[in-house]
Amino acid sequence: MNSIDKFIADFLAACDFTDPMEVDADTELKNLPQWDSLAMLGVIVMFDTEYGKSIAGMQLNSAATVGDLFRLLDD
Amino acid sequence: MPSSTLHKVRFAGMASCVPRQIVSNLTDCRPQIRGERERLVRNIGIEQRRLCPEWQCFSDLAFAAAETLLEKLAWRREEVDALVVVTQSPDYLIPATAIILQDRLGLSQATAAFDVNLGCSGYPFGINLLGSMIAAGGVKKGLLLVGDRCASYNDPIFSDAGTATALEFDPAAPPIHCDLNSDGSGYKAICLPIGGHREPFGLQHMIPRRENENDHWHWPGELRLDGLTVLSFSTQRVPPAIKRLLEYAETAKEDVDYYVFHQANHMINETIRKKLGLPAEKVPSTLRDFGNTSSASLPLTMTARIRAELEQGKKRLLLSGFGVGLSWGSCLLEIEGALFPDLIES
Repeated sequence: MNSIDKFIADFLAACDFTDPMEVDADTELKNLPQWDSLAMLGVIVMFDTEYGKSIAGMQLNSAATVGDLFRLLDD
Repeated sequence: MPSSTLHKVRFAGMASCVPRQIVSNLTDCRPQIRGERERLVRNIGIEQRRLCPEWQCFSDLAFAAAETLLEKLAWRREEVDALVVVTQSPDYLIPATAIILQDRLGLSQATAAFDVNLGCSGYPFGINLLGSMIAAGGVKKGLLLVGDRCASYNDPIFSDAGTATALEFDPAAPPIHCDLNSDGSGYKAICLPIGGHREPFGLQHMIPRRENENDHWHWPGELRLDGLTVLSFSTQRVPPAIKRLLEYAETAKEDVDYYVFHQANHMINETIRKKLGLPAEKVPSTLRDFGNTSSASLPLTMTARIRAELEQGKKRLLLSGFGVGLSWGSCLLEIEGALFPDLIES
């Protein structure tokens, strides 16, 4: 079982936001100022290398919140 | 095509050439985007790139590399039976750059010279193509010129380079194993959509746009790159292809001295390395200093990072290119006694 706390820590490391961000499962991705193509690349790499899960850009675009991303692990 | 093996083809030498002008991704940009650039460089791993001056073509870099290599090998010009150029930055749309270079290099008119339109995956394809001509018996010595002029001042990824590789017929040469693949369903992922027959260049393409005042101007005729698709493609297709080639060649991954990958960006390259379980010291990189040099990235990395090691004793290398097409290819070869001149700046 993956924990949401670890996932959020991994998510923040993968996005490498310039300014510190408070993020929880309900945080909407569109409200994160640096949720950009670079952050998305980092998240795809994170899914692959940390969780052994391959996801496509289309799946990322369909996620509205950080929690939605977390649930992609179980798809 | 299925994995295949070339026999009696010897890797004789290689030279690489880059333009002198260095562009820094960190300092050669608007001060307003400096912070964003620092974040970008941290993640893509590209600090500096090489940029041709306005007058310099890819063929000028390849010419310098070929001249140096021919001198170092002491090959006579009339001995070169084939000249294969792999580039997506030809001098002209017509005729092929290889034919212009045949004359410029003083090669015989009996030389078979032609271009191949491939980008980041092009080097293994070029080795396979020229190697096949040699293995078939018609060509005794051949030159493979590979690279692109793909850099621009503002784009932080691409960098310019031209390279020359010499292959020759040798009955005692060790085998070269190749694995080549294509997936045209992904052609839009990296595409220069304007200027061909699908969408000829017109006045409507003369209007640039930018997202905001800190952005630079983007022209409709620029290369379009879907980074998410390219990353997924590279990290999902390349590792299994490399495992397949190793299995075909009955070679343990530990028995390969160096894995040289196309220098795409740090995120892609590190993901591939980790998925294959390779130690960093076996995977040389030129991303920091030379960026993504398209099809030149494999030979440039060999020249710039491991040329001294390659000149000392026998080394087994796995070379893998991947990108525009979509296209990906690898070759596994042994290099011994080949010549590697110093990196050329022109």
